[in-house]
Amino acid sequence: MSNPHAWRFSALAFLLALLGSGILFQMVRIQTDPQARAWLVEQDPYNGAWVTYYPARGEIYDRNGNLLAGNQTIYEIGVDLQAVRDPESVALAASVYLGLDYNRTLAQITEPAEGILYVVLADHVPPEQANKLIELQEVLMNDPSGQSLAGLRFVPHLERSYPEGALASNVIGFTTREGQGYYGVEEKYNSLLAGVPVTLWVPSDPNRAEELPDIPPGATLILTLDRQIQAAAEETLDSALQTYGARSGVIIVMDPQTGEILAMAVTPRMDLNRYWEYENIFVGETPFNRAISQAYEPGSVLKVLTMAAALDSGTVTPDTVFLDTGTIIVGGGYIHNWDGGAWGYQDMTGCLEHSLNVCLAWTAVEMGADTFYGYMQSFGLGRLTGIDLAGEHPGRLKLPGDGDWYPIDLGTNAFGQGVAVTPIQMVMAGSAIANEGRMVYPHVLHAIVQDGQQRAMSTQIVGRPISPETARALNQMLVESLSNETSLANVPGYTLAGKTGTAQIPTAYGYDPRQTNASFIGWGPADDPRFLVYVWLERPTASPWASQVAAPVFRQMVEQLVVLMNIPPDDIRLQAAGGE
Amino acid sequence: MDNVTGIARKVQQAPWRVQRQWIGLFLLGLVVVTLMAGLHLSVTTRTALAGRELQILQDEILDAQRVNADLETQWANLTSYSAMRERALAMGFRPARADEILYVFAAGYQPPQPVNLSRPVPAAPVSLILPAYRQSLLEWFSDQLTASNPASGR
Repeated sequence: MSNPHAWRFSALAFLLALLGSGILFQMVRIQTDPQARAWLVEQDPYNGAWVTYYPARGEIYDRNGNLLAGNQTIYEIGVDLQAVRDPESVALAASVYLGLDYNRTLAQITEPAEGILYVVLADHVPPEQANKLIELQEVLMNDPSGQSLAGLRFVPHLERSYPEGALASNVIGFTTREGQGYYGVEEKYNSLLAGVPVTLWVPSDPNRAEELPDIPPGATLILTLDRQIQAAAEETLDSALQTYGARSGVIIVMDPQTGEILAMAVTPRMDLNRYWEYENIFVGETPFNRAISQAYEPGSVLKVLTMAAALDSGTVTPDTVFLDTGTIIVGGGYIHNWDGGAWGYQDMTGCLEHSLNVCLAWTAVEMGADTFYGYMQSFGLGRLTGIDLAGEHPGRLKLPGDGDWYPIDLGTNAFGQGVAVTPIQMVMAGSAIANEGRMVYPHVLHAIVQDGQQRAMSTQIVGRPISPETARALNQMLVESLSNETSLANVPGYTLAGKTGTAQIPTAYGYDPRQTNASFIGWGPADDPRFLVYVWLERPTASPWASQVAAPVFRQMVEQLVVLMNIPPDDIRLQAAGGE
Repeated sequence: MDNVTGIARKVQQAPWRVQRQWIGLFLLGLVVVTLMAGLHLSVTTRTALAGRELQILQDEILDAQRVNADLETQWANLTSYSAMRERALAMGFRPARADEILYVFAAGYQPPQPVNLSRPVPAAPVSLILPAYRQSLLEWFSDQLTASNPASGR
């Protein structure tokens, strides 16, 4: 009964078994072959890629929610070399629309380096330019002539953009294409704005795809600046420079009760969207923001601080009478008044009103160097205010014991010569007088928005250099002196306090009598200050006197401020307050 | 002994019947293996499709965020101070002077406050991937059992 053909089944089974074993053997051999490890390493890059995700840079707004710094789409344009069908057309299009060299581009496409699959032709291409190429690529997609832009790749990404151009440029600073912030807020808060980049392995195999972790964008900043007040300050400053022939200038507007900077107008300014022009605009040692970075001798605006110290220390009272003979000797040197004249008997208000150098030098001598410089240090002179902007300068306050301090400096420092301050230092010091003795920290950051939560910065009192009584008394003296003397600074209907300052400019050969720095510090309404304005015009040519050039700028600024800040005239305001 | 052998032969099945049983077993194994392979292929395919969809969605989210930021900047360009001033001047407006403003006393008036950009945040991040794609078979069974009999989880 045995099957004579059974051997055929056995042979077939043997062959199949042999084949199966062979396949199994080969599988094991390939897996364990020393070459297998090398192949694994070789193909590893094709499994995926390490990708760094850069969070969008945080935005910057003014206090009313107007965008000052945002992000806009730009394109990286490259060529996928394996997809190119018509290299000549690609090179020609790149040459016409991107301004690239035709031959060089063609060589990049047709003769790439070994292993190169993708070539970047241009980056930071504006959308308008990129869109033209995209449209052309679509048109040529089915072109019967064979012309094709196949292989051109458009990779959109974000770049910093400043919708307001040059407005508040010196406060904002700028960010380069590499994402690094320079100057102003962009530099000071760079790490907050930039966020934290995350590098991840992104597999090509969709089976291994994983959810991307949440990559939070950089923090959004809300500044204390008011766009309208900033624009008004810049227009006023530009107009003043032209009218009075000044070389440069600064206008700072601050809320003296909170330290919030409402405007900081500075020259020169630059369009932040064209930051590469920086070196052409800020030539030589020109500071990016002279309101915080350039120290200068402020002149008589500093008499406000001297008088504050004299009153607070009890050296004088507002009614103390001084006989001005036109000259005083301090440290062996003669000090004269600005007009060289003698003003006779003057009370302290008169000394401020007529800006008498001799009187203020006398008060400093009466106080003594230790007391005088102690107060100046309390007002923050000679040290950084700590304002949250990059590049602040500490100024220079020479002290007894310093190698370059001489006894006469006590007299000259009392009226703002021989001492170097920045405008922001004067603003901070002035806030103590406007704010009942409380000196506030000047700042430009109102709030940080992170993870959807807004955290507001609180008002910081950095010191109480004088008592509230002294501040009130001096405030009243400045109101009187302003209304009596510096009429060009007055605004009808509003009670303001203020002081001019005209300072000669030191040179290597002594003080230059022909050139001055004209300044003005003032605030209002005097009984409840809502704004403090500081004006500095460098080397005005129309007139050397601050009362002629800086005081009118203060008035122009205040006239706009009362409108923009909704501050009614005193009679209406007090009537409304009384009715509440 | 011969008798015993004889009985055994009598109860032994016919050879063709044994062969059919072996073939049947082999085919059963083949069907099981094929079913498992098919199931594996189906699950793998669905996983791959879900993974690809995830990658596409993530790209779309990033793209939407970029477009959103871009549109916001475009809007800011259109409403910038210089653009708005130009439009206002073209419409015949000019800045008001202090002496032109009429103040009216309004009880309860609150002056404008600085902008607030806070936004509500979800309590906890919600994962886009279904649990089934994260769990082992045992975890999945355990979850299914718990879901079908909530009392057992107590």
